Amino acid sequence: MMLRNLCICLILVLAFASLNGCAQGPVTWRRLTLNQTISTEDVIFIVPGKTDISAVVERLGAPNEILASHDEIVTRYYFTDGKYFKANYGWGFRFVIPFFAPDLDLGGGGIGRDVFQVTYDNHWLVRDHAFAFHSRSSEFMAWPFRD
Amino acid sequence: MRRSSCIFGLLVVALLYQGCAFIRGNYGEDLGQGDVTTIQKGISTRADVAAVLGAPDRIIEASGREIFHYYHYDVKSGSVFIFSRTNIKSDDVFVIFNGTGVVEEVVSGKRKGPLEFQFWPFDWPFH
Repeated sequence: MMLRNLCICLILVLAFASLNGCAQGPVTWRRLTLNQTISTEDVIFIVPGKTDISAVVERLGAPNEILASHDEIVTRYYFTDGKYFKANYGWGFRFVIPFFAPDLDLGGGGIGRDVFQVTYDNHWLVRDHAFAFHSRSSEFMAWPFRD
Repeated sequence: MRRSSCIFGLLVVALLYQGCAFIRGNYGEDLGQGDVTTIQKGISTRADVAAVLGAPDRIIEASGREIFHYYHYDVKSGSVFIFSRTNIKSDDVFVIFNGTGVVEEVVSGKRKGPLEFQFWPFDWPFH
């Protein structure tokens, strides 16, 4: 009985080991994000001409970038979202033709970036602020040949 | 019987984990909030700031001011079988000097939420 169980264990181990190449599988989904989103609700406390940079930084954190523009200073917060999908359409051949398994990888993805921009005057009071939403432009793409 | 079941269970678990990876990385030095609080507006100079925080990663000229930019990136990446997700968080510190080289403003603060290890690349069903 003991010997039989050991044999079963050995067979299962060998079976799993032979599937080592399956760890990555025929399909792959990958996602990459840089920082976290800032929503319109997060910035309703900002009142142009009254809110200063300290109040903004206290609520939203430090910006990713500070730029100069004429007599004002521009701060920018970024959120970047990247998505990638890949499918190996030749993967199934290994079960039909064990000695030759051609890889046929097709897939794609994209990267989109949201920006929240705050402009300050020379006294560090908010002059204006604006969003640019582009993170939804990233998507998992299964078929790269479409228009 | 019991012993072989345990061995079998451990082998299955070990084999199932072979497609997993969790990786951590960072870029730049993490600036402690304590170091930043020693910088005093209207008093500290460029030399004082450099002595506390070191040389800046970038220097920016903006509207007659000089800005020292320090940054630090933290990366957490998780992969489980066919799913993979990499999260990156940046922490930035800006020290703004007036025309005479004295600190006018310190822009420092953590972005919301901690950085998490994740492997699930989709927004659903958790959002």
